[in-house]
Amino acid sequence: MKITKKESNTLFRRVLRKPLGRISFGIITLLFISAVFANFLAPMDPNELDTVNIFAKPSFHHLFGADDLGRDVLSRVMYGGRISLIIAFFASLIAMSVGVLWGFLAAQIGGWIDDVMMRIVDALLSIPIILLALILVAALGTNVAVLAIIIGTILAPATARLARSAVIGELQLDYSHAATVVGASRLRILFSEVLPNTAPVLMARAVICASDTIIIEASLSFVGLGINPPSASWGSLTRTGYEQLFNGYWLVLAPAVIILLAIWSFNTLSDQILEALDPRSGS
Amino acid sequence: MLFSVSVLIFVVLRLLPGDPVSIAIGAGHRGVGAEELDQYRTESGLNSSYSVQYWLWLTKIFRGDFGVSYFSQEKVLTMIGGHLMPTVELTLTALIAAVIFAFALAIIGATWPRSFADRIVTAIASLGMAIPTFITAIILLLTFGIWFPILPTRGYISFSENPIENMRLIAMPTMTLAFAAMAPILRMLRSSLGEASTSPWTRTAEGKGLLWPKIVRKHIFPNALIPTLTVVGITFGRMLGGVVLIEFIFAWPGIGTLMVDAIFKRDYMILQATILFAALATIIVNFLVDIAYGVVDPRLSFKNK
Amino acid sequence: MMPLLNVKNLAIDIEQPRGESLHAVRDISFIVNKGEKLGLVGESGSGKSLTALAIMRLLHSPYQISGSIALDDTELYSLSAKEMARVRAGQLGIIYQDPTSSLNPVFTVGEQIIEAIQLSEKVSHAEARTRAIDLLTEVGVKDAKTRANNYPHQFSGGMRQRVMIAMAISTNPKLLIADEPTTALDVTTQARVMELLSRIVEQRGLAVILITHDLGVASQFCDRLSVMYGGKIVETGSIKDVISAPLHPYTKALINSVCTVDLDVTKPMIAIGGQPPVLSNLPSGCTFHPRCPMANTTSCITTMPELVTIGASRTAACDLIDTKSGSKGFSHV
Repeated sequence: MKITKKESNTLFRRVLRKPLGRISFGIITLLFISAVFANFLAPMDPNELDTVNIFAKPSFHHLFGADDLGRDVLSRVMYGGRISLIIAFFASLIAMSVGVLWGFLAAQIGGWIDDVMMRIVDALLSIPIILLALILVAALGTNVAVLAIIIGTILAPATARLARSAVIGELQLDYSHAATVVGASRLRILFSEVLPNTAPVLMARAVICASDTIIIEASLSFVGLGINPPSASWGSLTRTGYEQLFNGYWLVLAPAVIILLAIWSFNTLSDQILEALDPRSGS
Repeated sequence: MLFSVSVLIFVVLRLLPGDPVSIAIGAGHRGVGAEELDQYRTESGLNSSYSVQYWLWLTKIFRGDFGVSYFSQEKVLTMIGGHLMPTVELTLTALIAAVIFAFALAIIGATWPRSFADRIVTAIASLGMAIPTFITAIILLLTFGIWFPILPTRGYISFSENPIENMRLIAMPTMTLAFAAMAPILRMLRSSLGEASTSPWTRTAEGKGLLWPKIVRKHIFPNALIPTLTVVGITFGRMLGGVVLIEFIFAWPGIGTLMVDAIFKRDYMILQATILFAALATIIVNFLVDIAYGVVDPRLSFKNK
Repeated sequence: MMPLLNVKNLAIDIEQPRGESLHAVRDISFIVNKGEKLGLVGESGSGKSLTALAIMRLLHSPYQISGSIALDDTELYSLSAKEMARVRAGQLGIIYQDPTSSLNPVFTVGEQIIEAIQLSEKVSHAEARTRAIDLLTEVGVKDAKTRANNYPHQFSGGMRQRVMIAMAISTNPKLLIADEPTTALDVTTQARVMELLSRIVEQRGLAVILITHDLGVASQFCDRLSVMYGGKIVETGSIKDVISAPLHPYTKALINSVCTVDLDVTKPMIAIGGQPPVLSNLPSGCTFHPRCPMANTTSCITTMPELVTIGASRTAACDLIDTKSGSKGFSHV
């Protein structure tokens, strides 16, 4: 009983049918587009100095104001999105691949290996995330690639847990037994039958991973252990803005608001995906 | 559990690049030759294999000796002790505030389910769970530090020295931490209250002549407390992570600040010890939660039925 | 003599999110006199439990109640929430079907009874506790002093029901409603609990509404019987009359289908054919006609029969009844 292509399209459509689903998806798309096409869409060069307008308040010229070097905050935020979203994308990718593999294998193999694998996951989960992030960053440095790997690794254990319980749930259902009876190998069952059925739940988790990545990256950059100037991510912009708090509150407001918007959109999208899974009558 | 965590910490820290010895000796601004570096290394045990180092560390712990900071040569334990009080103040105050608000809001929501107030309560819970702590901090700083400047934005003074100033200084960090901590507790409690509201014994209570608000407070609440306690325990664990950021933002001289400094300076000994303590604290709190479970739920404390 | 409980034209509708409301109870009227034991008998879905809950005013949205329910001449549905709570505390008592889920698991049984007592009158905690212990002893809980400190999960099903009974009568109510009190219990325990109930009710002179689908239990306990089907009352009368000389086809079928010890084992058991009515698709005319052996093709399918008084306190709702005593033909009220 695979989920056919038509069914997954229906899930997508169901999510888009609800207003919250449309809004969150829309915002995410907007953020992505503004990041990817920043060079076309940004009103100014993010590095262009405009010393006349240092700490300019938000105005028509500088929609979000200007920073301590007269650079346009809006443009910087748009370009900053590139780094933040790239990290979010790759970290989610890593968290999902590693986590899903780990969880699936643990569930499939079972026995004491499963126990050990989950014991490791639990030990990792018992360390507060921020602490783990701080230490790994201190150990391994802070460029985009490394950050993506670190954050992906941190988010993997929770994904593993989720993947494992999803698989165990599916394996207990009749269609798994039926597939075994027909003679499908375990691996085949896992990847061609179970995976499509757990896909929606995993997708919801992937979206949350993106949201969590943005939070962690921003938190790290804020402390100075993430992306550092002159490169800009939403987090590092928040940091520089915070440092200039008494000179101009808008410097910190813009990136902070964007971060909030991004987090809210991802969280809501994930909720919508989960809601759309629920067989709802008359939906 | 503690054991596996300690192994994990040790392994991770050894991956830290940056030679602590050079940093430590470099801090003394002395010209050093390769021999002296090597001698220092042997004394600190850094030349032995990793497993030997781990063993040494572990056994010393059992004797209460957490080693000496590479950097300042103070005993790690003393350093931690010196920074412990502010963190404990902050964490406890925030936890208590979070619990009080979470309980009050959840009860309000459950007493008037699906009302406007209830929807606000749910929104607050979602908000608290989604906003990163540093952004809450920024919002509070903007509001109370810049736009309506009534609270100081950074620093610390102990309660015994100046209680009023202490409370003013602790206000924003506590609000930040408490808001994040309150959210999951609020959500869990509200949903448990909602579930328990459909139990048949609430009808019995109403049939006896009780009014709904009283039923929520007296009958439903103890039942809903049980799963909520677990969340309190988990939340405490996550607070230990969040407190690091908050201490940094508000210049609060606690363990968090100690840790961040130690990371920048590659001070292994401090890091190992602080994380171990954090894990220990989490495990203790969860243990206490387990005990509380037995107290609150009579079905669990009677082993022989 | 004024009846203790006077129910007039009670109707209970269930609001649906989409479409029409369901009519769970349709225009029923009955009375209960002081000290009288009325049995409300019917299949599941006949509306008897809902009637009980409506009397206690424990039905909230999506249930809509219309009609009049008067206790001692006080219209219950015109009281404020607080006043109704006081009526429940002091004058009404109710026992539910499932004692397990009807008792709060985190309070001791003693506390739960004490709470009921203190809700109905101003007594000290110590005084209430003594009374609770006495009640527990009265309902047959041995070692009541210690047992009062036990939690519900430490009692067996039958014992829990006794605790519920103790709690219900602890406030000296005028009317006790027992909603299928023995359905969840095994047969031996059933008998014991009913015995206990009889004794207590006799001693205190309580009025009782016993709701059950078990004719046997009803016949042993009740003074009068009302039979419900599809949300309507189809027959009422003294227990003796109804059981020995049932008028309504449904009542007749019910009595015939009761399993007795001396039943002929070679013949198949008699059951009522068909299915109970579905609320969203009620039959036209007489609700029972699809399953009635006597139904004709004209009036039974088109018109809803009225409850007609046939003898002294004897009513039935069937257009095909041949009045045996009293005047021939129907006397419509």
